[in-house]
Amino acid sequence: MERLGVDIGGTFTDLVAQDENGQLHTTKVLTTPEDHAEGIMTAIAKAGIDLGKTELFLHGSTIAINTVVERKGVKTALLTTRGFRDVYEIGRSNRPEAYNLFFERPRPLVPRSSCREITERITARGEVHTPLEAETAAALVAELKNAGVESIAVCLLHSYANPEHEVALGQIIGSVHPKAYVSLSHRILREYREYERASTTVVNAYVGPVVARYLASLQTRLRAKGFEGEVLVMQSGGGVMSLTAAMQAPVRTMESGPVAGVMGAASVAGALGYRNAIAFDMGGTTAKASMIKDGAAEIAGSYYIGGYSTGHPVMLPVIDIVEVGSGGGSIAWLDSAGGMKVGPVSAGAVPGPASYGRGGAEPTVTDANLLLGLLGEKSFLGGEMPLDGRAAESAVQSRIAHPLGLTLNQAATGIIRIVNAHMALALRAVSVERGEDPRDFALVAFGGAGPLHASTLARELGIPVVVIPRIPGQFSARGMLVCPLRRDYVQTLLRDFGIVNPPEVAATLRGLIQEGLAILARERRSRNSPPQVECALDLRYRGQEHSIAVPLVGQQFTARDRLAVSNRFHELHMSLYGHAAATEPLEMVGVRVTVQVPVAGGDFGDSAGVVAKGGGLVEPHGRRQAYMGERYGFIKTPLYHRSDLAPRTSLPGPAIIEEAASTTVVLPGDRVTVAPTGELIVRIAEGEKA
Amino acid sequence: MKSRVDPATLEIVRGALVASANEMAMVLSRTAYNTMIFEVQDYCIGVIDPAGRLIAQNSGGLPIFLADMGVAVRDGIEKYGLSGFEPGDAIIMNAPYICGQHLNNMVVYSPCFVGERLVAFPAVRAHWLDVGGSRVGFGSVETTEIYQEGLQLRSIKIYRGGKLDENIWQIISDNIRFPESSLGDLRAQLAACRLGERRLKELFERYGVDTVNVCIEEMWNQSERLARAAVAAIPDGEYTAESYLDNDGQELDKTVPVKVTVRVRGEEMEVDFSEVAEHVRGPINCGPSGGIAAARVAFKALTLPSQPVDEGCFRPLKVVLPPGKFLSAGPPAPLGLWSIPLPTVIDTVLAALAPAVPERIPAAHKGEMGGFAIYGKDEASGRRYVCLNMTGGGWGGRPRGDGPNAAVSICQGDVRNTPIELLEARYPLFFDYFSLRPDSGGAGRFRGGLGVELAVRARYPAAVNFNIERTKCPPWGLWGGRPGTVGEARVERASGLPGESVTKRTRYPIVPEDRVVFLTAGGGGWGDPLEREPEAVARDVRGGYISSGEAADYGVVLDPATGEVNLKATETLRARLRRERKK
Repeated sequence: MERLGVDIGGTFTDLVAQDENGQLHTTKVLTTPEDHAEGIMTAIAKAGIDLGKTELFLHGSTIAINTVVERKGVKTALLTTRGFRDVYEIGRSNRPEAYNLFFERPRPLVPRSSCREITERITARGEVHTPLEAETAAALVAELKNAGVESIAVCLLHSYANPEHEVALGQIIGSVHPKAYVSLSHRILREYREYERASTTVVNAYVGPVVARYLASLQTRLRAKGFEGEVLVMQSGGGVMSLTAAMQAPVRTMESGPVAGVMGAASVAGALGYRNAIAFDMGGTTAKASMIKDGAAEIAGSYYIGGYSTGHPVMLPVIDIVEVGSGGGSIAWLDSAGGMKVGPVSAGAVPGPASYGRGGAEPTVTDANLLLGLLGEKSFLGGEMPLDGRAAESAVQSRIAHPLGLTLNQAATGIIRIVNAHMALALRAVSVERGEDPRDFALVAFGGAGPLHASTLARELGIPVVVIPRIPGQFSARGMLVCPLRRDYVQTLLRDFGIVNPPEVAATLRGLIQEGLAILARERRSRNSPPQVECALDLRYRGQEHSIAVPLVGQQFTARDRLAVSNRFHELHMSLYGHAAATEPLEMVGVRVTVQVPVAGGDFGDSAGVVAKGGGLVEPHGRRQAYMGERYGFIKTPLYHRSDLAPRTSLPGPAIIEEAASTTVVLPGDRVTVAPTGELIVRIAEGEKA
Repeated sequence: MKSRVDPATLEIVRGALVASANEMAMVLSRTAYNTMIFEVQDYCIGVIDPAGRLIAQNSGGLPIFLADMGVAVRDGIEKYGLSGFEPGDAIIMNAPYICGQHLNNMVVYSPCFVGERLVAFPAVRAHWLDVGGSRVGFGSVETTEIYQEGLQLRSIKIYRGGKLDENIWQIISDNIRFPESSLGDLRAQLAACRLGERRLKELFERYGVDTVNVCIEEMWNQSERLARAAVAAIPDGEYTAESYLDNDGQELDKTVPVKVTVRVRGEEMEVDFSEVAEHVRGPINCGPSGGIAAARVAFKALTLPSQPVDEGCFRPLKVVLPPGKFLSAGPPAPLGLWSIPLPTVIDTVLAALAPAVPERIPAAHKGEMGGFAIYGKDEASGRRYVCLNMTGGGWGGRPRGDGPNAAVSICQGDVRNTPIELLEARYPLFFDYFSLRPDSGGAGRFRGGLGVELAVRARYPAAVNFNIERTKCPPWGLWGGRPGTVGEARVERASGLPGESVTKRTRYPIVPEDRVVFLTAGGGGWGDPLEREPEAVARDVRGGYISSGEAADYGVVLDPATGEVNLKATETLRARLRRERKK
C-alpha cells in the first residue's frame, strides 16, 4: 500500500487506500465519537492494510469542528488591547433573524471574566502608540496560570500591521506559563476586522489542545502498527498540511470532508480535460455546490461555524461551498397554509426515510425516488439494505398526496421537483450569480444521492456534461489523495492604488512567498515537484468595501504592472457585477499569496485498477418502470451494474446504473460513456428541458 | 387545501422570486460605495407587480423597509401609465411624503417585459451618503422644512429606452456632496435592477406569465392564511400602551407622546395611531408609509417572523393613521430623522399586547438607532470624510431568559457595527475603548441586556452629529422588571475644561484633545428581580455584567471573598425586601 485517505464523518469513517499499482480499495466503518482513532484502526484492520508499507496517511476529521459545536474545548483565556476585551462579546451587534424577538447572539467560547486586557496600543499604520507593559502582562499571565487556564488566545488591535506586541506577549506567556497552548492572532491571519480575527484566534485556542492530543495519539497508534510515513491533515482551504502545523493551527482544518470532495472533483475534471466544473455533492442531509474554474476551486475568505445567525466567524480561506438543506433524507411536509415544502429537516440515518423501515413515518426524497423507480427496493446500498416500498407509499400518500388531493405520482414528482429546485438554486449561486455561464461547465456529481439527481439538474441549468467519478459514495476520502501541500496568506495593506509604492507591495509579496516556501520545504521531505506560487492583489473602487482578488502574472509587482492590473480589475468587476467605472480611483486592500506543492501520485487520469469485466456490449441485468421527467413520464428502463461496464462502453438513456453506495440515472436522449479511467461521462442532449 | 396551481410549481416559483431579490442584493452590497449599504445594510430590494404590490423582498436588509416600496412604484405607474414604460427605462424616486422617508433613501426601479407585456418591476432602495441640502452625514436635528434636506426626485426617468438622460445625471451630480459615492451607488442600483429584469424574465418565460401570476396570488393567499391563524391565537380585545420621545430636536423640553391602541378581533388586528403626537417642527417626522412600516414590523414579529415578506403577510393588519401626525406628516415637514422614533413606536405596540400574550413579549429594548456621524477633513490626505457608524444596545429581558447585550434595534436586523480597525484605517480617528456598559441592564427575574460604551478622538478638528433619544422615557421593564439605564453622550475635554453631556447637537465641533464617549441604553428587566436565580446574579457579578452593589437590588448576598451565593443571607434579605414592599 502506498497511501491512505481517511475521512471521518458524523456517521461513517471512510477509508480509501491506493496501492502501488494505483488500485483503489475502500472500506466503511461506523464513526467512534468517543475516540476517533479507534474507528480508524478498525477500518485499517478491516481493509487488511499493512501500515509498514504505507507512505502517506491523509486525514480529515470533524473533531475540531465538533469540539466547537459541542463546546468541549479547554479552559481558554483571551488577551486584548486595553479597552477592547468586550469586542469579542459585542461582535458586530447584528441580528440576522430580523423579526425574531427571541433571537440569540453567538455564545462566546471564552467567558467575559477570562477576557483580559493588556496595556499596549498600535495604530492603523502599525506605529507603536503605547508600548507594551511587560511586567503587568507577566503578572496577568501568572494569574491565568493559577486559575487553571490551559490555552491563551492573543488578539491585539492592528497586529496585522505590526505584530511586535503579540510576539512579545507570546514570549512572556512562554516563560511564565510554558505549558499553555498559545495562539497569536497574527500567526493565524493578517487581516483587519478585530472581532473576526479574535473569534478565529479563540476558536484555534479553544480546540488546539484537544486536536493536538488527538493527532498525537493517532500518530502513536499508527507508529505502533509499523507506520513510518507521514500524516498530512486536510485544510479548509483545499490543501493539506503537516501534522505539526495542524497541531499549531487546527482552526485551518475545520472543514475537511466536503472540501476534500471538491478537491477531488477539481482533479478528476481536470484529468478528463474539463478546466471548468461545478462540484455537486448530495448526501443524506445536505447538498453542496462549488465552482471550479481553470482547474482550481473557488475560495471564500471566511465562514461561520454553527451558521451565520449565531455562529463563530472564522476569517480564513475555505473552499467556497454553497450548501442547501436538501439530501436523500430531507423530509417533505406541508405548512399550515397548505404550502408544500421539502427540507431542511432530515430524517437522518435514524430513523431515516420511511422506506428504511426503521420507524420513520415522514416522507423523504429517498422515498419519492423509490416510488418513482429511480432507486431499487433490492439494490439500495448494494443490496445490503432493502427498501420498503409500501412504507414509502404510505408516508407520501398520507402526508402529502391525500391532504393536497394529488395522486401518489404527482406527490412524489412534486417532492423531487422541489428538492431539485433548491439544489438548482445552489448550483446557480456558484455559477450564474457569479457571472459564469453553466454551459461552459461540467457537473461532477458525487455523494450517495448526487448521481441520482445530476442529469436533471444539468438540464435545468443547461450544463452539457455530467461526470460521475469512481466511488462517488466515498469520494471525500478519495479526494484527499490528490490534495497538495498548501499555504494561503492574506495581508492587509490599505493603500491608494493610484500612488501605490511598488517596492513596498513587492516586498510584502516576497516576505509571504518566502515564509510559505520555507514551511513547505520543511513539511515535505521528498520533493518531486517544484512548488507553485500564485499572487494576487485585493482591489476595489475607493469607497467600496468588498474587494476583488486580481491575479498577478508571476510573483512580482512593478510600476509597469499597475495599468494591466487596473484594467483587469475593471473587467472582473464588469463580469461579476454588470458594471464598472474605468475612471474611478482604485484602492488596494491587501495582497494574497498561495504556495502549494503537489503530493506526487494519487492523481486521477490513471486507468490502473479500472475493472473491465464486460466487452463493448453490455446487457442490462433487469428493467423497471422509472420516472424520466415530465416529458417522458414512466419508461421501462434498463438497469446495469456499474462494475459490469468496461471502459469505453457507451449506452443511450434511459438507463439506471447501480453500484454499492450510489445510483446514476441517465435520462432519455442523453448518452453515457465510460471513460478509460472509469468515470461515467453523461452527455446531455441539447435543447432538452428538465 | 387544493389550490389552482400545482404545489411543486408554486414552491419553485416562490424560491426563485426570493432568490432573484437576494441576487440583486448581492450585486448592490458588494459594489456599493458607502458603509450605509455594505456594513449597515441600509437598503432593500423588492419585486413589485404592475399594480404596485410587493411580490417578494430580499431576505435580510433593514426590517423597517417592510413591504413599503410598492407606493414608490405606484406613483410612477400613475404618472406614466403602464403603457408609458418601455424596456430599458429606469426610474429614480425619493418623493418624501409618498415614500415616507428621508431623501437619502433613493429608490431605483425598472420595468421587466416579457414580449410586449410588462410583468413586474425590480426595485432597489438604498441610503445615499448625501443628497445635498444642509445636512452632512446623518443625525442633524437642524432642519425644519424638507427643502433644507436635499434634492427631491419624484418618479423621474433617468433612463429612457436604455438611454441615459445626461441632464438629470448632471443635476444630481452638481447638487450633492460626495457625488462619486452616491453616483457609484446609483450605478450599483441600476446594475441590480438590470439583473433583476433578466432573472424575472427568465422565470416568467420558463413557467408562463399566467402561471407565475397565479403562483404569486397563491403565495399571497398562503401568507395571509398563516398570518390570520397567528392573529387568531391572540386573545380578542383592545389594548393600549403609551410612551414618549424626548423631543423633536428643536424644542428640547417638549416630549413627543406615542400612544398606541391595538384592537384584536378574531383573525384581524388593527393598530391605531390616532393618538400619537401631531407632526413636529424638527426632522423626526415620517410620511404615512413610515408609520405603516412600524406597525408592520411589530405585526410581523408577532405573526410570521421567519416567513418571507410579501403583500399577503399584512392583509389581516389594518393601520389607522390620520394625516398630519408625526407618523403621517405632509409638506413641508422635515423628515431627515424619519426612522429615529420608530423603534419606540414598535416597542409601544408590543407593550400594548403584553397583557394579551405575556409569554411572547420581551421588556423594552434600547429604543434608538445608536448611530453617530463624525466628519471633517483628513489633513494627511486632504480629503473630506464622513464616518457613520451604528452601535448596539441592550434588549429587554424575556419571558424565558435574559435580554441580549449589545444588539442593534428592532428596526435594524442584520445591521452591523463597523470594526474599529477598519474605522481607524479609513478615517483619521482613534478609539480609546469599546466595551459593554456594566449595570445598564434593567434588573429583573430575566435581566435586560447591556448597552455599550465607545470612546473616540479625532486626529484633526472635526464635527459630530449627536442624536441621543429616549433619555426621559427609559426602556421599560415588564411584570416588575426595572427599566434599563438610558443612553448618553459626553464630550470630555482633555484641556481641563469641564466636559459636557450632549443629547442632540448638530455640527458639534471637537478638537484632537477632546474625547467623545457614546453610551447606549440597556434593556428593561422582565419579572421581579427578587425571583432571579441567585446563581445567575453571582454569575453576572463574576462576569462584571453587574457590580456587587447591584446584586443587592436582586436581594442576593454574595460572599465577599469567594463571590459565591450566601443562600441563607439571601433568603433573609429577600424576605425583608418583600415585607418592605408591602408597606
